[in-house]
Amino acid sequence: MLKLAARMLRHRKGSAVATLLALTAGVVILMSMGLLVESGLRFEAASQRFAATDVVVANRDITLTTNGQEATAPLPEGGTVPASMAERLRQVPGVATVVVDTSVTAVLENGGATGHGWSSTVLTPYQLTKGAQPKNDDEVALDERVAGSVAPGDEIPILVEGTARVYRVSGLVRNAGPRPGPDAPPAVFFTDVHAAAVYPRQGRVDALGVIAEPGASSAAQVADVRKLATEAGVKAYAGAERGVLEQSADLAAGDMLVQLGYVFGGFVGLLVMFVVAGTIGLAVRHRRRDLALLRAVAATPGQIARLILIEVGLLSLLSVVIGVPSGWFATRWVRGELVGRGFIPNTFPFSGGALTAAAVVGATMTVAVGAALIAARRTVLIRPTEALGEIAVESGRNSKVRLFVGFVTLAGAIYLTTLSTTQKGTAALGTALGMLFALVLAVALLAPWINRVAARLLGPVLRAVWGDSGYLAAANLRANAQSMVTVLAALVLTVGLGGSIWFLQDNLERQSVAQNRAGMLAQHSMSSAVGLPETALAEIREIPGVVAATGVRNTSIILGNGEVGGVQAIDPDGIEHVMDLQVRSGSLADLRGHAVAVSSMQADSNGWKVGDRAEVWLGDGTPATLRIVAIYGRGMGFGDFTVTKDVIAGHTASTGYERILVRAEPGTDITTALADVTDRHPGSTVTNTAELTGRLADDLAFSAWLNKLLMGIMIGYAAMAAANTMVMAALTRGRELASLRMVGVTRKQVRRMVHAEQSGLLGVSLLIGGSIAALTLVSVVRTLTGQSVPYVPPLGWVSIIGGTVLLALLTTILPIARLLRVPPIAGIGVKE
Amino acid sequence: MSQLSETDLTKLRRSKIGFVFQAFNLIGALTVQENIVLPLQLSGKRADATWVRQVVDRVGLADRLSHRPSQLSGGQQQRVAIARALATRPEVIFCDEPTGALDTQTAAEVLGLLRSMVDEAGQTVIMVTHDPVAASYADRVMVLADGRIVHDMPQPGAERIAEQLAMLGRRQRVTQER
Repeated sequence: MLKLAARMLRHRKGSAVATLLALTAGVVILMSMGLLVESGLRFEAASQRFAATDVVVANRDITLTTNGQEATAPLPEGGTVPASMAERLRQVPGVATVVVDTSVTAVLENGGATGHGWSSTVLTPYQLTKGAQPKNDDEVALDERVAGSVAPGDEIPILVEGTARVYRVSGLVRNAGPRPGPDAPPAVFFTDVHAAAVYPRQGRVDALGVIAEPGASSAAQVADVRKLATEAGVKAYAGAERGVLEQSADLAAGDMLVQLGYVFGGFVGLLVMFVVAGTIGLAVRHRRRDLALLRAVAATPGQIARLILIEVGLLSLLSVVIGVPSGWFATRWVRGELVGRGFIPNTFPFSGGALTAAAVVGATMTVAVGAALIAARRTVLIRPTEALGEIAVESGRNSKVRLFVGFVTLAGAIYLTTLSTTQKGTAALGTALGMLFALVLAVALLAPWINRVAARLLGPVLRAVWGDSGYLAAANLRANAQSMVTVLAALVLTVGLGGSIWFLQDNLERQSVAQNRAGMLAQHSMSSAVGLPETALAEIREIPGVVAATGVRNTSIILGNGEVGGVQAIDPDGIEHVMDLQVRSGSLADLRGHAVAVSSMQADSNGWKVGDRAEVWLGDGTPATLRIVAIYGRGMGFGDFTVTKDVIAGHTASTGYERILVRAEPGTDITTALADVTDRHPGSTVTNTAELTGRLADDLAFSAWLNKLLMGIMIGYAAMAAANTMVMAALTRGRELASLRMVGVTRKQVRRMVHAEQSGLLGVSLLIGGSIAALTLVSVVRTLTGQSVPYVPPLGWVSIIGGTVLLALLTTILPIARLLRVPPIAGIGVKE
Repeated sequence: MSQLSETDLTKLRRSKIGFVFQAFNLIGALTVQENIVLPLQLSGKRADATWVRQVVDRVGLADRLSHRPSQLSGGQQQRVAIARALATRPEVIFCDEPTGALDTQTAAEVLGLLRSMVDEAGQTVIMVTHDPVAASYADRVMVLADGRIVHDMPQPGAERIAEQLAMLGRRQRVTQER
């Protein structure tokens, strides 16, 4: 049987190659996607800074209970632990040391570092290599990595939490812990007293490191610490768990890859499934004649089924053998690109593979064999006598189950569509995405019926445009409705999903930039990575010619449902001259004390009105009740929440303003005065706000690259699948075209007929796919921006329409033209 | 027999009956040799090498065994089909217009071959045909019209058969005129 199957495959090279191509490309895509996600899931950050501890007590995430469901979200600003906890931890039996760790940003001439108290050196540990430990407030020990040519005894300026001070270097230390990551910031150590004094959150600490007495470390001890931590509303991290405490680029990369899987996994899986199933189905249908002959020559239905299974099994096996290693290499390439573009650090390990490979092999085999069995079912069960009669005609019967599931999905999609028009805010976004997938799935399931109905409806149109050729084309479309299912499904998937996701990105980018540009009234922006103090703002406000200036710091808050909202914390004095948030109701003048202004998008999502109270958690997990004083339109350009700086004071990981926006009187040149202020604040720069919005656009385009790469791969795969199907179909039409020409249809008429068919088929696919994309785009864009007409870049139109025309040209019109060069009398003898 | 499942019917067909079709129905992917032993292979039996050799010799394809059907003439292809039908030693071979796609010369060869199977191996052959010449190779000829046997005669010769067929046509025309 195996030999027979292999022979049959070799004989039908065309469909075997087409199937192999669809399978292999699918395996490659699934494999690389899976590898990326698996690496993300497997990534386990190794503890570095806390390597020498047994347990660390910290507060890094928040667990919220909404509607009985628990959701855990990481705290955007990192939570703190009450300093008093240290004493309680010291009472735990077997604990030798409890180290209080506070971390502040420190900027040296040689670069950035984190500042800690001297006792934190034992956490890693750091070892003194030269000089002594700091003993006075103005002394500091430097990590060798930032020391440069500085030696103990030298005096150097250090910017601590935005304030510049001069310190005397007491000694140099070296990180003696395990392999410090290249992105791990170097540390500088002050006296414990000074470290606590400069820490902005008084009475609190970042973490408590617990070190057990030698030999006393035990599970019971860890349990004791955990119990104390839970009582205080914080968490204890032991062993490998400590790794998550150190924010590293590796950890962020791992999260990003997992996120990627959430966003694209469904799309990729759906596409590969439909393409593989469709192509195999078509290949089996093309082989009906062979199979019927075998039945006539006395093969039992079971034997035919087994033959098909073995054939498809062989092809799947081959595709796996080619696809899995290619997928692995493709992932190497993607990794290189991701590293090159700075999405993930070079140190991020790509691990695993066996699990992904097993899953991909299992999934591919299941889909392939399942599709083959379904496609073969009719041929298998047919009586040999009927089999020989039916071979030329395609049977029109289709699975009732498919029809039923298709209609149920469609009903669901329609329900979601109506729902999304009444919903508001983030709920509407989720519904819109659900609607998109449901619609695409419904179309793919109903594709045979859609093709048939479309052919019937298009009949008169094609006839009117192309005359008799159009009439023939309509008849062919009706007859080939089943074969062209893959073309419809692949194109609708591509245009529907691709169009939505791709153009959505464009719309969001454009909207953010447009809102920021339209609402930015300030002409100058002074910004600093280390934070600008109040004094800088005061100095700027005193410059003659300055109408208004305000400091801005970006942070996040957590809403009741665990969602994170972007916040701009400002000094509200003169805000109306600096930015125009497009206030819809309420007034920014009321932004005093525990008040908040929210974007209309967030107001809609949460049902907030001016005067309501919003229950939120600040970046460090502190609950806060904020009075809503205004609702504004430009949330995408400036952030969904605007609060005064007082609301977040003491709840952020570092202090100071990120930038100061300055509005000057027209015609006044304040650049020299601003430069003076900049000189007094190391690490700060002044830019034109127009450049600022330009950079925002660049940043957004940069992060969109990965999305667009994935979309591009998907679109390429779908186009390949459609091309595959159409070439397979076109090349089997030699006999049909020859008979047409024998009965007197001219070559030109045949060509016109093919053009009419293509226009009908591709037109319907584009129309349905485009409608789905438009529906999704309109509902999402309206929710996010309030605009009812989404923006589609001209190049987008060109590439969709041009791509489809090119596809038709390459995959049908050219092969048909080749068939037409064969004289009809020679063509008629050709077997299908 | 109508109680049997499709699988059982197939098993019955392939063990007791051989088929020869007008369109040959050979598997293009397989060589002549493989086509001939295919039914045996499908029924899971080991091909009786001497019998297959004998059959191949009798149809005169010994030097064509490794060719593909597409490399053979129509007559040769039909001979492969006959060899395939014989390979399972069926109790009866049914032929459906076996000469319909062949020229007269080749048709005569194929019919001669079928005749020799009957004479030399005692093989029962039932053949359906429109061709009086083809029918004249049979021991017994039945004329069917509209699903009914209208004549049953021991070999009457090609002319008698042609006459009977012609009368059949005339009778129909008379019916139409009436």
